[in-house]
Amino acid sequence: MSNAHAANKSVLWDWLTTVDHKKIGILYLVSGGFFFLVGGLEAVLIRIQLMNPEMTFLTGNLYNQVLTMHGTTMIFLAAMPIIFGFMNAVVPLQIGARDVAFPFVNSLGFWLFFFGGILLNLSWFLGGAPDAGWTAYAPLSTTSTGHGVDFYVLGLQIAGAGTLMGGINFLVTIINMRAPGMTFMRMPLFTWTAFVTSGLILFAFPALTIGLFLLMFERVFEANFFDANMGGNAIIWEHIFWIFGHPEVYILILPAFGIISEVVATFSRKRLFGYSAMVFATVLIGFLGFMVWAHHMFTVGLGPVANSIFAVATMAIAIPTGVKIFNWVFTMWGGKIRFTTANLFSVGFIPTFVMGGVTGVMLAVAPADYQYHDSYFVVAHFHYVIVGGLILGLFSGLYYWYPRMFGLMLNEALGKWNFWTFFIGFHLTFFPQHFLGLMGMPRRYFTYPEEFGLGSLNFISTIGAVFMTVGTIIFIINVVVTHAKGKKVSGDPWDGRTLEWAIPNPTPHYNFLQTPLVRGLDALWIEKMAGNKKMTPAEPVGDIHMPNNSVLPLFMSIGFFIAGFGFIYYSSAGAPALIAIIVGLGIGLACMFLRSWIDDHGHHLHKEDLLKEDKGVDA
Amino acid sequence: MASNEQPNSVHHHSSLQKKIKLKQERRQHNVSFVMMILLTIVAFAAIASDAISNSVAVLFIIVLAGVQVFFQLYIWMHLGHKGHEFPMWGIASGLLIALITVGTLVGLIW
Amino acid sequence: MDVGERLTDQNFPESPEKATLEGKNKFLGFWLFLGGETVLFATLFGTYLGLRNSFGKGPEASEIFQLPMVFAATIILLTSSLTSVYAVLALKENRVKQMRRWFFITLLLGLSFLGLEIYEFVEYVHEGHTFTSGAFGSAFYTLVGFHGGHVLFGCLWITALLVRNSGRGLTLYNAPKYYLFALYWHFVDVVWVFIFTVVYLMGKVG
Repeated sequence: MSNAHAANKSVLWDWLTTVDHKKIGILYLVSGGFFFLVGGLEAVLIRIQLMNPEMTFLTGNLYNQVLTMHGTTMIFLAAMPIIFGFMNAVVPLQIGARDVAFPFVNSLGFWLFFFGGILLNLSWFLGGAPDAGWTAYAPLSTTSTGHGVDFYVLGLQIAGAGTLMGGINFLVTIINMRAPGMTFMRMPLFTWTAFVTSGLILFAFPALTIGLFLLMFERVFEANFFDANMGGNAIIWEHIFWIFGHPEVYILILPAFGIISEVVATFSRKRLFGYSAMVFATVLIGFLGFMVWAHHMFTVGLGPVANSIFAVATMAIAIPTGVKIFNWVFTMWGGKIRFTTANLFSVGFIPTFVMGGVTGVMLAVAPADYQYHDSYFVVAHFHYVIVGGLILGLFSGLYYWYPRMFGLMLNEALGKWNFWTFFIGFHLTFFPQHFLGLMGMPRRYFTYPEEFGLGSLNFISTIGAVFMTVGTIIFIINVVVTHAKGKKVSGDPWDGRTLEWAIPNPTPHYNFLQTPLVRGLDALWIEKMAGNKKMTPAEPVGDIHMPNNSVLPLFMSIGFFIAGFGFIYYSSAGAPALIAIIVGLGIGLACMFLRSWIDDHGHHLHKEDLLKEDKGVDA
Repeated sequence: MASNEQPNSVHHHSSLQKKIKLKQERRQHNVSFVMMILLTIVAFAAIASDAISNSVAVLFIIVLAGVQVFFQLYIWMHLGHKGHEFPMWGIASGLLIALITVGTLVGLIW
Repeated sequence: MDVGERLTDQNFPESPEKATLEGKNKFLGFWLFLGGETVLFATLFGTYLGLRNSFGKGPEASEIFQLPMVFAATIILLTSSLTSVYAVLALKENRVKQMRRWFFITLLLGLSFLGLEIYEFVEYVHEGHTFTSGAFGSAFYTLVGFHGGHVLFGCLWITALLVRNSGRGLTLYNAPKYYLFALYWHFVDVVWVFIFTVVYLMGKVG
């Protein structure tokens, strides 16, 4: 298991067994990007079907499947992993750490997500995808025929376990592994948002875990949690789903807030305005995010008291969010703004997200929600916050951190084309949907009659989707062009402020030769202003301890993947499925056992080699 | 990563102090064990006896369960000790979300 | 010194489970995991409480629950919590043999708890209270079964630890592992406190 041994193996083996947070970050980014394209394709199919009244391009159950998979894929398999990609790539560097707290668990988290995602998408080729919506409300989900919903349950269960591990890993990393001087109130805002998001994951995902178990037991083992005939109660599913589901949307948006905060400050050449207020707002949003889930259930009939409490709590979130919006604007105010592609996405984010926030407050008004509920108004709202908020933020982060992650600079000219087509396309797609909703178009229906007069706005919306597709294709071209002939960049191409820009390019696998001493917020900027070329080290050069690569996470995930198949087919296939369950769980447990059995003390990089290598980088 | 950190060597004087501390701790553990057994017996008795009305008994045994959790977390799991600030936050947040969840599933369904 | 090196009474740190960065990380990570587990069990408890009077085709809770057996199970698990805390005290004094003995007793108690639970479940099934007999049955077996699964996992865990480290002293590498198991075991006991209160005692009075 030693490092020298691993070096003899192939590149592929290295990627399959890596525990290096930088490589795992890239794995997350690439797989998340792949699923983003899959989910995007599904979105385009939906928009083609809705382009004109009474289309027959994609109807009935197939439409339900595409719609369900679009939502599920985008949330769990695209947005979450890309966020984890950035957290892996950036957080340890921002806090001056050499790795995450649990490198092995980090790798396991990735592989579980990956195989969960593959499992879910295999449903397309194995008799049909889940068709009960991404919320999988009972009894629709419990009575759905075929194995589609079983794929949803098992795929998300496996991927979700990976996410939970990732959350704990980042909490411990941020608490325990900050460099000397990096107090909590000196942490860059992206690290702060990663911290709060990880906390939300820790307390929200267990509810999903149980919800999925209940659904699985109901579908596979004939339990009666949600079946009213046997005394079950379908509302329990709604509560459990949203107790998880609402924090989930803050899990998604908070890291985007963090990215925007980094990008806006860097490209305004100013310290982030109101740093402590930003931190407070982040924590407050995280806390309130747990108190508002029932606003998804206003029309269920919780009663006026409960509805009012949740309405007020929901509106309260507008306050810390507003604080953030103003702080970004004030950061730019009087700054030396550079409109790089990263900054364009950030600046585009601000008004777009405000619009999504405003419709959010409209939806929070419980009586009015009876009108908006399950209409395209809701669809417009959540796409404004998730695409207009999160996805613009992720694009911004991609352009900003690409040099750090890959040592290459994405093409700026193509980047601007990417931004404008995507941004215009986005508003063209989703702005009309507000009005479609107010005109009475329900969400999730696969068509509408001509005489309802919904045709022209739907047509505009589809044109917008074409623009967004073009924007995404330009981005892919940009990546290809960059890697084909991109030129290497220095470690600090943007004149950065935070520690991830204090390292040479490409990033050494031990990150920091010497752990830096942090003397304030924007640690690198402080040194730059003091006229120092480098960070002040907090320790002399010495041996560095690094974790060993391991193939166990991959095998363990494959084990659970096999067991997942067994559970999916247990109700129809019987004995062969039982064998798959036993074999799969056996592999998983055996890998856990081996992990416990084999002493793994990691390895040391020696001082002399490090110094030699460091000279090579400088030359 | 800090595997080469040297643990503090223990001198004789401080090892004596440590022994006394551990002895005290052992006594605490024994006392809390007896307490927990008693609380359990009281809870079972409260339900078994007809003297207490059911609704009062239910409230009472839930309070007793809360006390037992306190013993477990603070005395046996050392949650109150130094160096447990973040574990404290973790458990407290978990309990808060847990309370909300249970409260909802009890009170907000029909 | 090396993390795999046997600790002596001279170089024994005050908290061997937290003497290395890895140890500190494991300690904190495991506590946070227990915070998440709290929500996990809360969701199960909430579901159970929501469905506890929906018996469907099965018998009512107050008809089938046998309090003496539950009381015995409770005392067994409570005692096992005490023995695991004794093991931790021995760990802190570098008394390996004692520690291993206490952990072994913990394991035996855990196994007898499991045996009792399986016996109980078999009895219930004979009386018509099954996983599919109604919402109450499903919620009961899921909640109590999840707890039982945790006990089972704990038994496997401590068995692996004891076997792997037989003939080995305490090191900075295995001390955190023992300590984490003890934390886990206490947590499982905490959950049981609520199960006997909320499921069995409350079930008895309806």
